[in-house]
Amino acid sequence: MFGSLSDFSLGELFQVLEQGEKTGRLTIYSGRRGESQKDRISQTPPRNYYIWFRRGFIVAAANSLDNQGLSKLIDQRSWIEGGTSVLAPGFCNVNLPLGICFKSHGLITAEQLKLLFSVQVLRQVCQLFTLLHGRYHFDEKAPLAYPEMTGLSAPATDVTLAGLRNLKDWSALEDKLPEPDSAILSLVEGKPHLKLNQSELRVWEFADGTVALKDVAARLDLSLEKVRKIAFRLSVVNLAEEFPLLISASDMMNLSLDDEFVDDENNLFFMEEQAVKAEAPVRKSNSQEFIAPPPMSDDFLQELMRSLNNS
Amino acid sequence: MEIMTLVVTGPVGAGKSTFIRTVSEIDVVDTDRRATDETASLKHRTTVAFDFGRLQFGRNRALHLYGTPGQSRFDFMWDILIRKAQGYVVLVAANRPNEFRYSRRILTFMQHRSRVPLIIAISHSDCEGAWTPENILVAMGYNAQKPAPPVVIVDPRNRASVAKSIVKLVQSAMQYTRSFSKAG
Repeated sequence: MFGSLSDFSLGELFQVLEQGEKTGRLTIYSGRRGESQKDRISQTPPRNYYIWFRRGFIVAAANSLDNQGLSKLIDQRSWIEGGTSVLAPGFCNVNLPLGICFKSHGLITAEQLKLLFSVQVLRQVCQLFTLLHGRYHFDEKAPLAYPEMTGLSAPATDVTLAGLRNLKDWSALEDKLPEPDSAILSLVEGKPHLKLNQSELRVWEFADGTVALKDVAARLDLSLEKVRKIAFRLSVVNLAEEFPLLISASDMMNLSLDDEFVDDENNLFFMEEQAVKAEAPVRKSNSQEFIAPPPMSDDFLQELMRSLNNS
Repeated sequence: MEIMTLVVTGPVGAGKSTFIRTVSEIDVVDTDRRATDETASLKHRTTVAFDFGRLQFGRNRALHLYGTPGQSRFDFMWDILIRKAQGYVVLVAANRPNEFRYSRRILTFMQHRSRVPLIIAISHSDCEGAWTPENILVAMGYNAQKPAPPVVIVDPRNRASVAKSIVKLVQSAMQYTRSFSKAG
């Protein structure tokens, strides 16, 4: 799985990795594809960032593959006398997270591990949401980096929520934001399991698929842009999904089909007639109103299959 | 005449028109309309395009295929089409992850309007940057808790491949017919 963050944003990527319960290593290249040195002048030099996932949870992050990131963080804090380098090779089992190993030997505490995880993962990964044009590659075969792991983990969506809340430049996500005419529909039973802020909770109250976001904005006296951003956040953390509403009667009246089109397909004409004369659909979900045209007969379907198989 | 109506939906560029053209025995009809009232001065051009193709078989039997407009603002047209449909194909280009969210939006709309059989047909799966079907389904909101509908890999330019996709949908339609009969 690889591509550009401008096509598939980090939040969406985290959503897929969490929902797909993926294990592997996500690499983020901060430079654009094919970007020259001249293009990069005055910009931060491109770097690679690595994030390890285990069954959809983020377990470690680093900006190099030297397996020294976590040790450096510990050494910077002088939590182990003489530094981690004084420990004999093989001190820790290679298939055990370094943090767990150090904790089990009484070298660092649980609280210190939490702090390390916060610095290494939460803070570092949240910064990556500001990358607008990076590229990504997820390698499902890459082994977990135990020397970089504290033993703690966080759902990818927790990190997404924090990352997107702090995002200032949304230009790369502009065409991903839910449409003003769409509503949002809850994907969870009851209250959200994630801790939402006040604005998010207010928008969340409308996650029943009946109120267009532009009307939500008006009712809450928030800008439409802000409501769309919140709706996007709620959707990438799997709390809600965008629910397109039918175009309103007044919008439909603005659409007048001319009669230049001539064809002998009655069915097509029927469709067009219906398009123009359709009784004014209203801006609500009608989510319970399932349409069930009569199914085709078994005989019809059998004959169609035979025809298709012979074509 | 006994007619089965199928809808082919998906983002612009996923291959809907090609899909219909490949299997249709008539030249595919598409509509392209201008606003002709006072809104024309406000909106330069209002396009309500959908494709139509037909495959006749047997004496008095035919399959009609309709392609939805690609733009989400024409939800009402989708609504009209889905009301007539006895099944639908959601076409997704595997190499365009930027459109997965839009495809999911279409699916959400469709599935809340209709319970007729559907399949997800994945095109462009041999192109650079193509995602695997498994990952596409996750991106479209399917997971262990929400099982995906049948999925096929399709080359919209290839008649046999398109026919195979429709067969898959017809198989689902047969199950639907049988469950409908039992319920009825």
